[in-house]
Amino acid sequence: MYGGLHSPGPLPTPGALVDLAREFTPRVEAFGSTPVLLDLQGLGRAWPSPRALGEALLEAARRRCPEPRVALAVSRVAALLISQGREGLTVLAPGEETAALAPLPLSLLALDPDREETLRGWGLRTLGDLAALPAAGLAERLGPDAPRLRRLARGEDDAPLVATPLPQCFACTLELEWPIDGLEPLSFILARVLEPLCARLVERGRRAVSLALELALVDGSVHRRALHPAAPSSDPRTWRTLLLLDLEVHPPRDAIQALTLRAEPTPARTVQFSLLDPAQPSPERLAETMGRLHEWTSTGRGGAPVLLDTHRPGAFVMVSFAPGAFRSLGSESHAPRIALRVFRPPRPAQVSLREGMPVFVSAGGVRGAVLDLAGPWRASGDWWDVAWSREEWDVALAGGVYRIFRDRLREAWFLESELD
Amino acid sequence: MPSALKHTLEDLLRVRRLQADAPPLRGQDRRLSPLPTGVAVVDELLGGGLARGQVSEVHGPPSAGRTSLVLALASRVTRAGALAGWVDPRDRFDPGTAAGAGLDLARLLWLRGKAGQPRVLPEAVAATGTVVGSGLFDLVVLDLAGMPAVEIQRLPGATWIRLQRMIESTPVALVLIGDAHVAHGPGGACLAVAPGPAGWSGPPGPGRLLRSLATELRAGRHMLRPVAFVRQSGV
Repeated sequence: MYGGLHSPGPLPTPGALVDLAREFTPRVEAFGSTPVLLDLQGLGRAWPSPRALGEALLEAARRRCPEPRVALAVSRVAALLISQGREGLTVLAPGEETAALAPLPLSLLALDPDREETLRGWGLRTLGDLAALPAAGLAERLGPDAPRLRRLARGEDDAPLVATPLPQCFACTLELEWPIDGLEPLSFILARVLEPLCARLVERGRRAVSLALELALVDGSVHRRALHPAAPSSDPRTWRTLLLLDLEVHPPRDAIQALTLRAEPTPARTVQFSLLDPAQPSPERLAETMGRLHEWTSTGRGGAPVLLDTHRPGAFVMVSFAPGAFRSLGSESHAPRIALRVFRPPRPAQVSLREGMPVFVSAGGVRGAVLDLAGPWRASGDWWDVAWSREEWDVALAGGVYRIFRDRLREAWFLESELD
Repeated sequence: MPSALKHTLEDLLRVRRLQADAPPLRGQDRRLSPLPTGVAVVDELLGGGLARGQVSEVHGPPSAGRTSLVLALASRVTRAGALAGWVDPRDRFDPGTAAGAGLDLARLLWLRGKAGQPRVLPEAVAATGTVVGSGLFDLVVLDLAGMPAVEIQRLPGATWIRLQRMIESTPVALVLIGDAHVAHGPGGACLAVAPGPAGWSGPPGPGRLLRSLATELRAGRHMLRPVAFVRQSGV
């Protein structure tokens, strides 16, 4: 048996009818804020008759909203339509659906305006008029969904109830019997809170994409931290490690008397492993490793370098290390290339010239006569922004081969890198 | 099996990266396969490459080819889909030449020290331990070249033993780059490199280029004759 619940007037909250319906049964299908369809199967044990159940539902609804309407029927669509078309309580016995729906207006079917105008043109005003049409030839005259509309007008179900899922809230609050100070006792408390929270995530097939921590302190303030690792996780150990690492850097200023954890859920990651691709790094372990390296990554000195699309030498930015899915770059071997070991910043150099070519270089710990050289090679750019212009030389000294350059704008020499 | 079908199957395996130097697939024991550097004479000398689960070192004077050799190794590792870490306490790494050497920068974790930063070496060693301990990286490089010897000697004596113990029985290879011998594991390689002659594109004068630098390499102290290889400038 199904129950339809509807309120034509304004509701105190958008979910008022849904919340009321869930007090009776967990299987509720909501069509916006109203109407709401209830699966009443099994409730006959709590109420002696369908009418008693209907009266209880109506009484509870009257306390929540103005002029509620309740309809009980064995047909899902009949309960839904009658709750919208008749006031008060209606309880239908099996077989009474078509007759009960007959006088109700066609507008209850929520037809598109063109279809409704067509039916009005034919002289049809009520569900009974539509139900009385012969089934043969209806699809040819009104379209392929016309037989379905006729079945709805007769109170015949065309689909099962699809329960609206409960809103998911993954949060946990713990008030401590006495305040704690320090990360070690907090570690045990976090484990105690994270285990059930993560278990609930796993039950719902979810992972936490972020975690918000609120620590209520003894001095009355609230210490808030939010973690957004590179990959979602439902592993309590990973989250505990990340939280402790974060609190090491951003400790609360007083003892903790209560804590709240809120997880933002996301559907669990499904990965199609391939037999022919290399194993990819575990995102959870990667997030934990990057969390342990937060002293490097938080200052921008840890990550992956990305070259900038410019001719300016040494232009790059550091981005978060997130390798992503494997993509083959070809397996051909590259002959070993001369690597540069860059001095950051470039070291100011004193360079002696003869006939315009360097003959002696002195820069920091690098000093010596130029034994051989190549250059000059001139380059410049960014004249529209911060211009640069340089003249590069590769010089071989007794202690190694180096690249020096003359900044043509500042008229100064610098030692840029060692060729290794 | 008809030869044409056999060739087709072999080509398919090659394309799908099931050849011998491909990264190990899921379930395969990666500890058994060494990491090839890509330099034929070096790999032949090492019996296929640097051993996993061992601390190896490449040391030599400036411009000898230390960084080039390790970059070639890192390039092969990242292009095969594995991850590499580069701990750089003196911030000397150049992404541009690394990319030119074929290294996939997206698969390289670069940790850069800061000039004048106190305790940069102990923090770099600690970060190295974190990176090798994660089990995510096939290759981790600790670049100690240019670090004053006295600072390296100030590290606790068990530093390298502890790192060796961490990576034993793992597929991680830890490579130290230094000016002189630092440490290597019992199964790790100790490669001493020395600079060879430079190759210039022509007589001194405008338009001349540095085409190549040669490297002479010895593995271990008892190697009488070094092997040599040439590093190209890419110009």
